[in-house]
Amino acid sequence: MTSIGIIANPASGKDIRRLVSYATTIDNNEKVNICKRIVLAAQGMGVDEALFMPDTFMIGCAVQDSLENDGVLSLALGLLDFEIEATMDDTVRAARMMERHGVGCLVVLGGDGTSRAAVKGITDTPLLSVSTGTNNVYPAMMEGTVAGMAAAAAALMDDPRECCIHDKKITVRVNGEVRDIALIDAVVSDDFYAGARAIWDPERIKRIVVSRCHPATIGFSAVAGAYEIVEDTDDYGLAVSLGSEGEGVLAPIAAGVLTPVRVSEARRLALGEEYRFTAETRCMIALDGEREVRVQPGDEVSLTVNRDGPWRVVPRKILARAAELGMYKIK
Amino acid sequence: MAISKEQMKDMYVKMRRIRDFESTAAKLFAEGKIPGFVHLYLGEEAIAPAVCECLRDDDFITSTHRGHGHIIAKGGDLNLMMAELFGRETGYCKGKGGSMHIADRDKGILGANGIVGAGHCIACGAGLSAKIRGTDQVCVCFFGDGSTNQGTFHESLNMASIWKLPVIFVCENNHYGISMSQDRHQAIKDVADRGAAYNIPGIAVDGNDPLAVYEAAAEAVARARAGKGPTLLECKTYRQHGHFEGDPAIYKPKEEQAAWMEKDPMPRYAKFLVENGVMTQEEVDAVDAQVAQEIEDSIAFADAQPFPSVESAVVDVYSDIVEEVRDR
Repeated sequence: MTSIGIIANPASGKDIRRLVSYATTIDNNEKVNICKRIVLAAQGMGVDEALFMPDTFMIGCAVQDSLENDGVLSLALGLLDFEIEATMDDTVRAARMMERHGVGCLVVLGGDGTSRAAVKGITDTPLLSVSTGTNNVYPAMMEGTVAGMAAAAAALMDDPRECCIHDKKITVRVNGEVRDIALIDAVVSDDFYAGARAIWDPERIKRIVVSRCHPATIGFSAVAGAYEIVEDTDDYGLAVSLGSEGEGVLAPIAAGVLTPVRVSEARRLALGEEYRFTAETRCMIALDGEREVRVQPGDEVSLTVNRDGPWRVVPRKILARAAELGMYKIK
Repeated sequence: MAISKEQMKDMYVKMRRIRDFESTAAKLFAEGKIPGFVHLYLGEEAIAPAVCECLRDDDFITSTHRGHGHIIAKGGDLNLMMAELFGRETGYCKGKGGSMHIADRDKGILGANGIVGAGHCIACGAGLSAKIRGTDQVCVCFFGDGSTNQGTFHESLNMASIWKLPVIFVCENNHYGISMSQDRHQAIKDVADRGAAYNIPGIAVDGNDPLAVYEAAAEAVARARAGKGPTLLECKTYRQHGHFEGDPAIYKPKEEQAAWMEKDPMPRYAKFLVENGVMTQEEVDAVDAQVAQEIEDSIAFADAQPFPSVESAVVDVYSDIVEEVRDR
């Protein structure tokens, strides 16, 4: 049986960045619509089963009701059986369960934070990350039909990894203990509480470590990207310090918000090299855009970039490979 | 928008004041000292103090049937509130309105309100007034998830959006409209989603975290003051008691109640303040003791006040014009 997993985060896309910037709004009914297209496309390619994460909006049930009502659902659509907590832990748990179940591809709908949570639950399942969040660097904007086809191709292929990028990730350690991970950026701000979670004020940002960066992205990784581009295929990351002195760069730190910031120091980080600092005051480390790790004065912080992240499906590449393998030919 | 330590402390004082006032009201109601209905704000204390921390004295709020928290957060007088709950002559409404009608025009409190969804329209009126008068005052409209199915909610969001009124719609989503869970009364999970239909930013925050509420409210208030229009701010929270005192709330699953009690804003915020050096445990204890005394004083004050006279039963009921007509 060929199966795919679908995790759609009903909480993504509603944070404070709709107030402090001009961020996109995608409501949950639209997420249901995207999921319908993913399921139908995967079904059309020959996938037998789609497993959904249970969530507060019951996205999986809404997809099933609608497609059954239309008489167009033929694959087995299932919902993982666990009591939801309506937190990020649901995503971690669902991803873990889906990998154990043996899904051939995990499709994640949400922002950078949702993908980060999913990655915590998987080891080698190919990941296809679809943007429905805010300042998305990791997930890609793509049509649900294309996402469904790409996920199906990954699930149906013998070796989908040849059409994936083995991503880098950032490991955050505090006083030697692993506290969390980030896929794109770890940003140190002088906030000392999580508050509304998002970060948007450049005045409060002191350091940025990125696994990759480009000026064509949105968020604080774009600051590093405006200074130097680091591709997903480059075997290094970048560490940037901000201050009142240094080279000025203009960067899109939020949707519709280009802000000048000064880079006082920047250096490449080889894979495995630790970027270390001792916290002088209370601060927060935001991971992929959300304040997550609280640091106390005197804490020793270490941020390390390694190529030990998820296997990310490259849609165009895998769909081209699917054509080479004759997956679109009518039998 | 950065928050100072003084503001953080002030929010704690107000949260504690609300928690103690409401806990005391529950006890007094059970003892039969408070007539009428009482709807308590227990569990939702992180919201109104954080929102009102962003307001000036000359800004407005509209409230609901569950209004004690809003009124305390905007600076309402505890003695006058308690006297009103006791039905005494010196209460906010001369002892004749009770819990659901407390208002204080001098403090911009445009009234608790027994009609679900009525505050939305009043908030638009206050916002329009500020706009016409050319001030930069704003109005915060507090309401629950149940009222977002009322026509007034939709009409008000539409009007506020089209006229760019300085109104911040703060939905205290406690997941129940009376005894009806949100899952059963609306086909959406996030009330914030409804903002998009009216071209209003809709954002959702943890309503049990005053710092999360403050950050969002501060931005929304600044936006309204600058003439950029309304915001729909949804604060996810939980009503720890029944809809009204005396409601056994058997419709609430025990596991759900227990999970939300784990997120009780009071111990959570106090722990944060102490752990991060904003307040010492001794300072927290001192605030708790000071507030406990304030509540004791308000009971003593209320208890010593007279009941309204029989003759006053029809005073403030009919307008003078009606009296004149009747005399003819």
